[in-house]
Amino acid sequence: MTAARAASLLDDRPSALPVFIGVSVVGHVLAVVVWLVASWLIAGPKVELEQKPIKASLVRLGKKRDDKLLPRMEAEAPPPKPKVEQVTVPAPVPADTAVKIPTKDVKPEKSAPKEDGAKDGKKSLFNALASAGKAAKAEELEGDPDGDKDGDSAIQEGERYFGLLKSVVRRNYDVSNTIDETERIRLKANVALRIGAQGELIDVVLTKPSGNELFDSAVIGAVKKAAPFTAPPEHLRGALKKDGVELVFSP
Amino acid sequence: MRNLIALLVVLPALAFAQRPVIEISGANFRPMPLAVAVPQTQDEGAKTAAVEFDAALTFDLAACGLFQVLDRKSFLADPKEGVTASTIAFPRWTDVGAESLIKTQLSVDGANLRGDLRLFAVAAGREELKITETVPLKDSRKLAHKLANAVYKHFTRETGPFETRITYTRKSASGRDVYVSDWDGKNAQRITNGDVNVLPALIPGGGVAFTSYRSKKPFLFVSRGGEPVQLIGKGSMVTGAAFSPDGKRVAVSVSEGENAELFVANADGSALTKLTDSKFFLNTSPTWSPDGKRLAFVSNRDGNPQIYVMNADGSGQKRLTFQGNYNTTPSWSPRGDLIAFTARDERNAFDLFTVNVDTKKVTRLTQDASGNEEPVFSPNGRLIMFTSTRGGGRGLYVMTFDGNNQIALPMDKGDLTTPDWAN
Repeated sequence: MTAARAASLLDDRPSALPVFIGVSVVGHVLAVVVWLVASWLIAGPKVELEQKPIKASLVRLGKKRDDKLLPRMEAEAPPPKPKVEQVTVPAPVPADTAVKIPTKDVKPEKSAPKEDGAKDGKKSLFNALASAGKAAKAEELEGDPDGDKDGDSAIQEGERYFGLLKSVVRRNYDVSNTIDETERIRLKANVALRIGAQGELIDVVLTKPSGNELFDSAVIGAVKKAAPFTAPPEHLRGALKKDGVELVFSP
Repeated sequence: MRNLIALLVVLPALAFAQRPVIEISGANFRPMPLAVAVPQTQDEGAKTAAVEFDAALTFDLAACGLFQVLDRKSFLADPKEGVTASTIAFPRWTDVGAESLIKTQLSVDGANLRGDLRLFAVAAGREELKITETVPLKDSRKLAHKLANAVYKHFTRETGPFETRITYTRKSASGRDVYVSDWDGKNAQRITNGDVNVLPALIPGGGVAFTSYRSKKPFLFVSRGGEPVQLIGKGSMVTGAAFSPDGKRVAVSVSEGENAELFVANADGSALTKLTDSKFFLNTSPTWSPDGKRLAFVSNRDGNPQIYVMNADGSGQKRLTFQGNYNTTPSWSPRGDLIAFTARDERNAFDLFTVNVDTKKVTRLTQDASGNEEPVFSPNGRLIMFTSTRGGGRGLYVMTFDGNNQIALPMDKGDLTTPDWAN
């Protein structure tokens, strides 16, 4: 009888389920409240999806242009002068084998007139300054003794090889201006590429198209034009060959 | 359950194994390298027309600022190559740097000239656009403009400027005459014959207005194909006619005594109403905003010529330019945001600038290229036409609205002045 009753589904038995459900509901409500309060307290800046791109530039040292004058275009930097190899041609030296024959008319050579001390001092100071000025080299760009000739940043950030990769691709990042300005702001395309041990481009694929065919072909073109790359360092070779690297292009 | 736990452990590990990501921005936007193949002709009549057609098509595409039309001398492809994607050796076009390729075919169909244009994306080796147009046999340039417009629209989704008209004046033996021509200066028609005729303005829907000395005083005349007739005669001189975008009103400057005031009238010259009233000063060169609600103009009321803006009823007059001391000949962009103008800078050089109507930011468009004056926007606001003395005589030039791609129109320079541009 007892066994049969214990097995009966109709019999009322004490259960922990209502308590569990109640605790769970209270717990979830508390969690949601805590989340709402926390997100309100530590809310980040509001993201403006239609925000226009911000342009920034650093003003160079120089004289300020009068605000009332009309603007002038930035003069392009003059192209670097081609290096002219200074070839010193030795002056022909007369044969010194002949013996000079003294003549009566020859007057003794005058020694060079000496200038007075103060004048001489000033001149030599001027000469010293002038020669120092001439000898002064053009100001070198800030960089690093171990930096790369292709580098374009004053400081090293992250993996050096990736910086080099970014620099060389960006130099070839040419996009057609047939793309409308209003569309440019929305363009973004992801490209995955794999690089071999010698820096050769194994393959390049568009992993996330921008939706604009011209832009997509331009970013693929930028990678192809930039290849072959510098051989990757030893520790990156395996990863770059197997998994590659992803480039995210935006205008 | 075990599998689920294993998956939860492995997934984050997989996530960490993903490839590194590098962000690249700062694209160099530049004109698209475009190869325009020599037109293929199927008969003798088409061969004759092809010369003009080719010149017009190539100029349109080169001058619009969107394309870098490649030099044909560099082409590697067989000149007899076909015009369909399957018959084109695209690698040969890639090798010369072309991103797009245009192939055209001309044929005579009775009294008409038929033109077929195909545009190809070179890298993809694919046909992007195929268009056919037919015009009377003598209008080969018009055919070129129609096809160029189709290409322009394909890339920008905007109407191209190649079937628009311009007007300008040219010095003549007895004075100065008004001409109306295609946008590239070709197909020019002389509107006046003798006397001094200046400051022409195209009338939306047809016709041209100009100030003429043909009567006793220089008043505003209009020509709609026949003999010019006087439209507005008031004061001692009526100049600077500008028709509203809807063509229903005309703004003019009327000189009376020492000063010049702006007036607005109906397009037929009736209901002349005064807009400015600044005694002893000059108010000239009105230009309409694209919505027809405002006017920009030149006034020397603050001591020297500057650009001002006001509502079309004369209210709300405000100074717009504060840089430079000699700013004249404003032209309001049909896009509404910019006003182009001529300014004399501190080196006494006349150059072109734009001022943003909202921000008042002034941008220089020309510099160190002789004298550049009298800018006027294209009807789509993408191009600016202007006069320049850089090539010897004063001629007409065109450039993009930001000052790039400055090109001379293919026409004789002969002291050409004050262009206007309209549909």
